[in-house]
Amino acid sequence: MVRKFFSGLLSGWAKYEKIVWIVAFVFALVFPVLFSSPYIVNIGVLCLLYVVLSLSLNLITGYMGITTLGHAAFYGVGAYTAAILSTRFGFNFLLTFLFAAIITAVFGLLLGAPTLRVSGRYLSIVTLGFCEICRIVELNWMDLTRGPLGIPNIPAPELFGISMDEPFHKYYIALVLVVLTVIIMSNIVNSRVGRGIGAIKGDELAAGAMGINTTNFKLMVFIVSAAIAGVAGAFYAHYMSFIDPTSFTFDQSVQILSMTILGGMGSIPGSIIGAIALTAIPELLRDFMEWRQIIYGVILAVMVIFKPNGLLGGFNLKHIRQRDQFAKAKEVAAK
Amino acid sequence: MTETILKATNITQKFGGLTAVDNVNFELHKGEIVGIIGPNGAGKTTFFNVLTGMYNPTEGKVYYKDKDITGLKPFQITACGMARTFQNIRLFAQMTAIENVMVGMHCRTKANLADAIFRLPRHRREEKAAEEKALNVLELAGLADFRYHYATSLPYGLQRRLEIARAIASDPEILLLDEPAAGMNEQETSDLMDFIRKLQGLGYTILLIEHDMRLVMNICERIYVLNYGALIAHGVPDEIKSNPLVIEAYLGKEA
Repeated sequence: MVRKFFSGLLSGWAKYEKIVWIVAFVFALVFPVLFSSPYIVNIGVLCLLYVVLSLSLNLITGYMGITTLGHAAFYGVGAYTAAILSTRFGFNFLLTFLFAAIITAVFGLLLGAPTLRVSGRYLSIVTLGFCEICRIVELNWMDLTRGPLGIPNIPAPELFGISMDEPFHKYYIALVLVVLTVIIMSNIVNSRVGRGIGAIKGDELAAGAMGINTTNFKLMVFIVSAAIAGVAGAFYAHYMSFIDPTSFTFDQSVQILSMTILGGMGSIPGSIIGAIALTAIPELLRDFMEWRQIIYGVILAVMVIFKPNGLLGGFNLKHIRQRDQFAKAKEVAAK
Repeated sequence: MTETILKATNITQKFGGLTAVDNVNFELHKGEIVGIIGPNGAGKTTFFNVLTGMYNPTEGKVYYKDKDITGLKPFQITACGMARTFQNIRLFAQMTAIENVMVGMHCRTKANLADAIFRLPRHRREEKAAEEKALNVLELAGLADFRYHYATSLPYGLQRRLEIARAIASDPEILLLDEPAAGMNEQETSDLMDFIRKLQGLGYTILLIEHDMRLVMNICERIYVLNYGALIAHGVPDEIKSNPLVIEAYLGKEA
């Protein structure tokens, strides 16, 4: 009964996927108008920021099946790149975003090239180490990062001479990033490249035998994912106007990973739901301060037991739609 | 004399102290169906893995149409025009049948990351053509009705077929089938034989490893027999059937 209800729900969602996207987008668009309190809009900004991070991690972990614990490192490198370029050299935020993407892509390459030879949990440990190394460098390279003092007074984004320091300005910048990320991700996964990535997850040996250069593919995914996380970091720097190494620790990696896993491995709507849920729930539970972590833990434990690949993990709306349409076409033909 | 399309000379593959394949010479001519047989653990799959680049042989060379392909990576060998299936089916579980076949076309399509992200017209055209071709391949394998089923939700016999379809999709000249009839019943094996003959008719050269003697003796034109890694016989099926060394390898020495 329950199962039937859910499969019907998914079929409906698959059929009207475009409309669901538009409704979600329109809601995101009017959100700051509906809730004009800066507190709520700021939570909205954080939600959007984590949506970008969780989506970018999903490309590596969900679509390619490689668990990394170092995503916060890319996020941090992007943030520091933007902070340094804008405070010392006065770069505009569009330029700092661009450079953050380029520099983190280089870091993705530097991490990926030597480490992608190992796989499974060994790779997870290496990425964890990378995250720690980045944090320690950020903490100790005083000339560049000011270490534990952090970098203050990062200017708010500025466009055509107008400083956009109101929460809702930043909200819309974050929304643009989310939309771009969703488009880039969905274009990648629904293409020849995406099928190659999926093949690596399914069976790396068979993927190689089918003509896929698995090493290059893994490296490419690392670079793309790192670049997206880097842009998220750059946004964070301009948004908070202050960064220090404590924002980019292993805890942060785990938090992003929990969002990706909770929402659903290999699902774009999944990552969005996961990121919003895990960002908004702790805020909603603020009144139950001492219960917060317990509730959070219970949710994760229940998920791991009953739906280990996440809320929407294993559901591919495109496949559901294709199957339904094909069944319908056959029915019509039979008549 | 028919054209030799694949040639392996003095192939030896050692794993530590174990010699899995021992000085094997092998030739495959265009358009024929050749079988490799031998008792369990004779080194058949290891030899296959050497041919397809999964292993780099300790000694010996592999030539594809006179080109030395020894030590190339599997993906490069697939691009040359050899495609394989696996003894234990290795389909991509989270993909539909048609997507599995489209992965097979990987090295015959070109769209790169930028094409995908920006959805260039070139990408659309290629995607459309790839989908049509994938449907044709599924049609050929008799799987068109199952195109949107998940690969692992198919019945066993069809999964084997889908693996062959995925290999065909890479436009190979040589198909290497590792125990295609393993676990199949009589009827499924007969269907498979018809399918393999049909593929030969379409111009594919086929090399297969198989334990099902009915299939091997019926469709193979030549047979190589391996035992303990060494080549003990090779010839047409009738010669192999009466070869004392082969009988000994399978049934043991007469007392």
